[in-house]
Amino acid sequence: MYGGSQSPRTLSRRAVLGSAAAGLAATSGCMQRMRTLAGNKEASAVSLSIKTRPADEDPGAMRIARELESWFDTAGVDTTVQPVTAAELYRQTLLSHEFDAFVGRYPYRQTTADSLYSLVHSSFAAERGWQNPFGFADLEVDELLTAQRRQSGDRRAETLASLQEQLANVCPFLVIGTPDSIRAANTTRFSGWTGAFGESPLRLLTLGRVDPAATTLRLVTTDSRVTRNLNPLMAPFRRRGRITSLVYDSLARQYHRGVVPLAGVDWEWDTTGRGGAVLRVTLRDDLQWHDGEALTAADVAFTYRMLADTSLGAFEQAVPPTRYRGRASVVTEATVVDERTVELACPDCSRAVAERALTVPLLAEHVWRERANEADIGGVGIGAATTEALVTDAIPPVGSGPLQFDTASDRESLRLTVFDDHFSTAMDPADSVAASTLDPPFDAVEIGFVGSDATAVELVESGDADATAVGVGSDLVRSIGRADDLTLLLDQSGSFYFLGFNVRSAPLSNSRFRNLLSHLVDRQHLVDTVFDGYATPAVSPLSGTGLVPETVQWVPGGTVTPFLGSNGELDTGQVRSAFREAGYRYDSGTLLQS
Amino acid sequence: MNVVSVFSEVAVVVSLLLTVGAVTVVGPDRIRAELPVLRTRLRQNARPLLLLVAVLAVNSVVRDVGVGLSWLIGSNITKTIYAVEGAFVASLQSLAPAWLTLYLGFVYIYGYVFLLVFPLVLTLLLGTTRYLRETAFAYAVNYGIGLLCYILFVAYGPRNFAPDMVEPLLFDTIPRFQLVTAQVNANTNVFPSLHTSLSVTVALMAYRLRAEYPRWLPVATFLAGSVILSTMVLGIHWATDVVFGVLLGAISVYVATRPRFHSEGDPP
Repeated sequence: MYGGSQSPRTLSRRAVLGSAAAGLAATSGCMQRMRTLAGNKEASAVSLSIKTRPADEDPGAMRIARELESWFDTAGVDTTVQPVTAAELYRQTLLSHEFDAFVGRYPYRQTTADSLYSLVHSSFAAERGWQNPFGFADLEVDELLTAQRRQSGDRRAETLASLQEQLANVCPFLVIGTPDSIRAANTTRFSGWTGAFGESPLRLLTLGRVDPAATTLRLVTTDSRVTRNLNPLMAPFRRRGRITSLVYDSLARQYHRGVVPLAGVDWEWDTTGRGGAVLRVTLRDDLQWHDGEALTAADVAFTYRMLADTSLGAFEQAVPPTRYRGRASVVTEATVVDERTVELACPDCSRAVAERALTVPLLAEHVWRERANEADIGGVGIGAATTEALVTDAIPPVGSGPLQFDTASDRESLRLTVFDDHFSTAMDPADSVAASTLDPPFDAVEIGFVGSDATAVELVESGDADATAVGVGSDLVRSIGRADDLTLLLDQSGSFYFLGFNVRSAPLSNSRFRNLLSHLVDRQHLVDTVFDGYATPAVSPLSGTGLVPETVQWVPGGTVTPFLGSNGELDTGQVRSAFREAGYRYDSGTLLQS
Repeated sequence: MNVVSVFSEVAVVVSLLLTVGAVTVVGPDRIRAELPVLRTRLRQNARPLLLLVAVLAVNSVVRDVGVGLSWLIGSNITKTIYAVEGAFVASLQSLAPAWLTLYLGFVYIYGYVFLLVFPLVLTLLLGTTRYLRETAFAYAVNYGIGLLCYILFVAYGPRNFAPDMVEPLLFDTIPRFQLVTAQVNANTNVFPSLHTSLSVTVALMAYRLRAEYPRWLPVATFLAGSVILSTMVLGIHWATDVVFGVLLGAISVYVATRPRFHSEGDPP
């Protein structure tokens, strides 16, 4: 097309094209160099932010975080601690996954072997809530978790041993230890405090009355969340669920490593069916919700549907709740047989694992069905990818437990009254089926909020409250012991402190790095300095369950991940060579990663 | 012991302090002379007094709502403050003997309330409305800027951030005061220290009033100094909060005493 033309203009155009081509060639060479160079970024300093609750809310957590900060700093990791209030901390970590690491406590009163399933199984990594908040995925761990659900006896013990060892090595979270819960109780109005805040929340209802005029049990708490939200499905607002479990009954409850009946009077384990094992649960007669409606098998079936997907299938993608997922995931289908019988299909697990599914809170269908709708703000839809069930404060709550809601005042108090129509209080004491017949020595329970644990203890001492509802700092043990009318309550808690890692991004995506961090933590030192000895160091999340193999039991001076130093002091030389071996570099004391 | 009883205790103690203060600073003769015209004085000063009431009302509402809002839009600067000043408060605390801590504990509550209320009494008794207006306006500026900062910044005090070094001394020594402070403020509102800024405001205003009330200046200065020290020794505020508190106090007095804020015909 250009061939016949000899005009200077065309020539010039050729020249331009030619030089452009040359330029392009040069640029592409340059581009290649640039791209290669870009791959060789300069090494950057390793930094880490640890979020946790402020000392007013949890003195233990904050002090653990500060000790960790100093150890990690010594190792050259630029570490900062960020105090965040409970509801916000758990929103940021469990829901938004905006964190590097956080110091928290296991959110249930007891750990069982199968607790680990929802905590670290990769199938939960994309969900929001207490189920795998770390974003952890390890094929070996997944396999072991699935296997233990079906196994029993020695085989299961072996699987669990391998599982705990693997977790201690790859460290999606680092167990620190289980604290003793320290509480103060005043003995002038009520008696029988020992164990009142123990494993079973129901024990609180079996106190003795000393002062005949005492009709209200007055508790003080340093955690205001319970005064403004009573939704059992909302992780950011739940502590370990003691109060909500008194409001919301379950079919059964975990007790002494076993499961005892509550609203479900009996159940049978049927493995004869074609679809796999079924748990056939029979409900007690005349169960009632707090609003007077009857609690039937339909409510139970509804509960398991809600716990699988709070949108009940209406959303394109399931919207699971932020608690109870592990237990609920055992049940693949819930079928109403008759008014009082419900069948829970648990095809892939043993009877022991399946029975744990009975301990979830029961939800009233007539209250929660409309909460399956999309969450809105003031009646205006905002296209939220979540349901009302995961947003509502559920005040007033409609449960079927022994205590029912009376009043609540934000950041001030919550008042519950004894539910006279609860089976345990209404039941004929001669009824042999009753697990325990309750006759609470009060008509109401009041929980008041105060800003610090020292003030809480002072209120109990002065007789303005009967007991602290939550544990207080170990520095108060002596003043509780000294006071005349006070009794010191020490309860072994099944809820361990841990440092959780967000393994979704560097540097914590590297399991070698996490493993090295675990060598920087002196658990005994933490127990001595932070808890004054009122805690038990632990390596495995299952410590205290009797399922921990020798290899991951905590022993003074040595564990699977021994402390690189002694008496809380790191040996800098040892630490640096460990990190260098793992491919890290140091520049004047700062840890660098390429 | 409950919130009401602690509040009444504070009211009783502060009334006592006000009486003693009035007798010594103003003098019995002057009080006797002023009593008949008190009604007129109150009427003359109705506007600044109403402004104060309004500011306090807004303050209590905003502080309630503000905490949630603050978590939503504010930035958490606790670790930045700590990076800047480190263990300053801890060292200060370790220097304070027990009797000083106890004194500062009472100053933090009683002394502070007295320090804020007494200038209103003093300026009310003056023939001019000018000083009461200045004081009320300066208080309002303190609260206004302070609240804005509380929404923009989330910060926990030393006792909450570094329990390993800093003791929560106020609540350890006088636990019942926690019931009062919890009603008034949230523990994320520490930057800047309003205790400091308002104390500085009062001390600076006392300087302006030195001709009228020569005895008030040394008392106000000493109390203001004690309050400022107490905020740190008790583990409630960082030195950073105090520095910005001093700045805020000075700015508020500067703004409140500008001539443009005085209507024409004011006596000089």
